[in-house]
Amino acid sequence: MSPATAVRPPLWPIDMPLEPRPGGPLWLAVAGKGGAGKSVVSGTLARILARRGHRVLAIDSDPMPGMAHSLGVPEPATPPLLLAAAEKPEHGPWRLKPRVGPMAVVRHYTTHAPDGIRLLQLGKADKDGLVPVNGAVSAFLQTVRRMHEARSLYEWAIVGDLPAGPRQPAAGFSPYARLYVVVVEPTSQSALTARRVARIARGPLGADVLFVASKVTGPYERRLVERLLGEPVDLVVPSDPAVADAERSLRAVIDAAPRSEVVHAVEELADIIQARTLEAA
Amino acid sequence: MKIAVSGKGGAGKTTISGTIARSLARSGHAVTAVDADVNPMLGISLGMGMDATERLAGIRQELSEGHADHDHEHEYTIDGLIERYGEDAPDGVRVVVASRVDMPDHGCLCCGVSADRLLREIEGTGRTVLGDLEAGVGVLTRMEPGNLDVVLVVANPTPKSIEVARRAVEACVAREIRVLVVANRVAGEEDLDAIRDVLGAHDIVVVPEDPVIRRADAEGVAAIDLDDRSPGVRAIIAISDRLAAEAVPQAA
Repeated sequence: MSPATAVRPPLWPIDMPLEPRPGGPLWLAVAGKGGAGKSVVSGTLARILARRGHRVLAIDSDPMPGMAHSLGVPEPATPPLLLAAAEKPEHGPWRLKPRVGPMAVVRHYTTHAPDGIRLLQLGKADKDGLVPVNGAVSAFLQTVRRMHEARSLYEWAIVGDLPAGPRQPAAGFSPYARLYVVVVEPTSQSALTARRVARIARGPLGADVLFVASKVTGPYERRLVERLLGEPVDLVVPSDPAVADAERSLRAVIDAAPRSEVVHAVEELADIIQARTLEAA
Repeated sequence: MKIAVSGKGGAGKTTISGTIARSLARSGHAVTAVDADVNPMLGISLGMGMDATERLAGIRQELSEGHADHDHEHEYTIDGLIERYGEDAPDGVRVVVASRVDMPDHGCLCCGVSADRLLREIEGTGRTVLGDLEAGVGVLTRMEPGNLDVVLVVANPTPKSIEVARRAVEACVAREIRVLVVANRVAGEEDLDAIRDVLGAHDIVVVPEDPVIRRADAEGVAAIDLDDRSPGVRAIIAISDRLAAEAVPQAA
């Protein structure tokens, strides 16, 4: 959809332009309904891309625990480092400090994860379900919304892990993403959520979409997902007990079960993404 | 009477809301079902099918139409909105969607109809209002005493689900709203004990794990249409009977 005809989704920030910005070819976000397997796909995909030689920035904008585990780093217990990058002017809202741009945030305000990955986090919810530090949230949003300014990051892969539903893509939490990997379980609610995320991504956000059917136990369920979606899926990630086992042992599935079916499937996903990127280039 | 259904994402709020709405309507109640989630799914559980659910308008998004005529504000009543933008679901349930994030928003700032406001202002006399809330406790914390008669707090036997349920119960107690805990997907005594350990001081009703409900969720149909005698569906119908019995004295 051209910028002229694109209509803002309801929660899109009023002062933010909608048209797609420049960015790296491998800047993507993983979305879907709660419980679909987003974190496992995003964490494992980030590790695989890193092992194939890409520099990888992982972005976790879910206030619930998620990507750190699937990447294989402990969840930080302290408030997000990002707060140190923000300031509150006497008049006006929180903002990134002058001279702190997206690249500085990546260098100084991210967590180190295995295979050289840097992990940028929104911050985790307190007992009321809110991320406690306003400044950190503002700094996070400004960072993701200014990502296109950091030309040196165009060489990197970005893998974002978004919380459940279409809310964050529609609210401008992932404007860096040129590709949405939409994860779908074989249920009607998961499929309808996937359709909605895809509609926003392909429409106003002008991004590409790749459907991943997850937790699939057989060919019947693949066909069910495709029938519910109304279009074919690009990849199937089978239901795999290795995921639950890894979760219980608090390890990333790629560390706990590197030869599991689920890891093989995400390797195939990385192949598809790399092939598409080459095609586009 | 005004009922809301709350709980963690994936706990089964929508299935329980849809089944209770249908069951109340079958026993003769006028039911208005309010989908208060910006990712609305209630139409599926009411038995409208995925495509009709996808065509439901979000009131917030629709209200912006006609805004070019900027001389006067939109004038509306809550019942007028339900009449105009709602749809009929099976058994005569009227369903409305407060706001949906996937639809273009033309940005009418003067008509701030939010899910919160719809739930606060909708009249519960002479009908049953059933609100299917967004995951978490946000909406509940923005209600005031008297806005809702009863909240069904849905808990699954998992630590995270029980924790979200505990916060929802806390929010209701602070607002003097009656709570009924629905222990959902209970497969045995151990599951029920996990929920009782934390929420045992409150009324608890049990909905057993039920393959019929799982199949309904997979296929995108109402569980009550698939098999209204399966254990899970019967347990939810029993909840609706109990709510109906409690509502009689209020209506009289």
